[in-house]
Amino acid sequence: MLRYLKLYGYFLRFSFTKALEFRFDFTFRIFMDLAYHLSNIFIFKIIFSHTTNLAGWTEEQAIVFIASYILCDGLYMSFFANNCWWFPVFINKGELDYYLTRPVSPLFFLSLREFAANSFINLLFAIGIFTWAITNYSSPFSISQLLAYIFLIINGVVIYYILHMLFYLPVFWTQSPRGFEGLLYGLDSIMKYPDKIQNLLFRYLFTLLIPLNLIISFPAKLFFGEDVIYNGVLLASWTIVFWSFFLWIWSKALKQYSSASS
Amino acid sequence: MIKVENLCKSFKIYQKPPGLKGSLKALFKRDYFYKNALDNVSLQVEPGEILGLVGANGAGKTTLVKILSGIIYPTSGEVSVLGYNPWKRDNRYRKQLSLIMGQKAQLWWDLPAFDSFLLLKEIYQISDKNFYKNIDYLSNSLNISHQMKTPVRKLSLGERMKVELMATLLHDPKVIFLDEPTIGLDLMSQRAVRSFLAQYRKEKNPIIILTSHYMQDIEELCRRIALIKNGSIIYDGPIDKIHKDYSQFQSINFEVLDSDIGRIQNFLIQKFPENEKEFIDNKIKLRLKKELVGEATKELLEHFSIDNLSINQIDISKVIENYLQHDQT
Repeated sequence: MLRYLKLYGYFLRFSFTKALEFRFDFTFRIFMDLAYHLSNIFIFKIIFSHTTNLAGWTEEQAIVFIASYILCDGLYMSFFANNCWWFPVFINKGELDYYLTRPVSPLFFLSLREFAANSFINLLFAIGIFTWAITNYSSPFSISQLLAYIFLIINGVVIYYILHMLFYLPVFWTQSPRGFEGLLYGLDSIMKYPDKIQNLLFRYLFTLLIPLNLIISFPAKLFFGEDVIYNGVLLASWTIVFWSFFLWIWSKALKQYSSASS
Repeated sequence: MIKVENLCKSFKIYQKPPGLKGSLKALFKRDYFYKNALDNVSLQVEPGEILGLVGANGAGKTTLVKILSGIIYPTSGEVSVLGYNPWKRDNRYRKQLSLIMGQKAQLWWDLPAFDSFLLLKEIYQISDKNFYKNIDYLSNSLNISHQMKTPVRKLSLGERMKVELMATLLHDPKVIFLDEPTIGLDLMSQRAVRSFLAQYRKEKNPIIILTSHYMQDIEELCRRIALIKNGSIIYDGPIDKIHKDYSQFQSINFEVLDSDIGRIQNFLIQKFPENEKEFIDNKIKLRLKKELVGEATKELLEHFSIDNLSINQIDISKVIENYLQHDQT
């Protein structure tokens, strides 16, 4: 574990060294992401200008929810997005070769080697927005509840990463350069809204099959104290099932890897 | 030790007719076929030995190297490298293994090579003492110590290959796969890499498998070669033997007047129909058995005005080319 942390320390150092060379990209990214975050909050503000209740949630709760989404998105964009983006290209071009000969997990390397240092400032904004939403939330909660909630959001980030990877892994079989990522982008916006606005069929679909609801909706429901035992058990067990399924597919994919001619 | 027995690898490939029409057709129906990249390959390599793998593009050399280094799975057959099955990807094996592919970079492009070396130090858990000792040894041997702090993208191709070699050898691997390590390098860099590898083998005694299209690499570094053709090994033995078997041949090289080019082509085709001939403008090369060379030279001098005449031994690259073309066993 310590060795992997040390390796990640190198990844961070390398990523920042690289990012600082490209100043324009660094500043442009800040404005682009900030506009995206604000537009997400704005949509909820518009909705709540017409109603005081959205599927049982107050405006305060909805703002905590969307701030959690922004935090989740910021974490994903900083830690995983670049790596996931390049993943199918790596497989298609046979760039996995060297990773498979090293005595470290190739999955660790491929998933985390590049930290998006140019979106780091935006991660700080996301943390700021989340802090603002939490401090404006008037219902009482303890520090341990808040820490548990942050942990569940991080768990959501991991689920989001696995979902992306599952849409990319078919590349090992199809050799297509981008996998099925287009499909995921279409579904991406589902997680931006509370699961309670979905009908029952879609709620099951997006909880158990394509678990977008586990990313933010479930942690938020737990934080707001809704059916804590039922939602908690479902979230924990489904995270384990999902992880195991992903690792199983990953091992199958590595067997399938055919590299590319030299 | 490397031990390979009856190794086979086939790839499923589809063929598509050209053009948009072909692409549309392939969307619904694809013609798949299996290509045997390796067909019943067996061989053994001992520590301290450099085996040269030689063959045309697509013959199966890189596929064999990729199976031995655990990158891809074989279709069938047995492989043991240092007692490990490579595609089980045991970390104890991967710590002793090294691979360099001349056409693929492993170092971080935008960073100085030394930064990547630090990362490799963590990956292979190299002690501080060994790390700095190896950095000194490798950078001095390869004469590249002045470029440790330059971003890799700013290095010349030759320098880049040298730092790639350093990265490959930092952890004192016991088995090294070198897949075209001198590809694209100028003559001086090629020589530097070759002499370094020869010295490294002498001092560290690893198992090395080398593939290269440059016959000089093979000739200078390998006592033993394996010739691969269409996925099968058609010769596995000392490089000297294959050369000696062909030394019964010599080539007559000469020049004729421009006005004689057509006439001499007809003459040689009629007189020596079975023998290999090469015509480049007025420069001509004719390959013959040693005992026929004297008579043939006499006849040429009688019928044509000959200039710059010389009689040479066939060089090893030509020998191997012929062997691969005619599949003589």
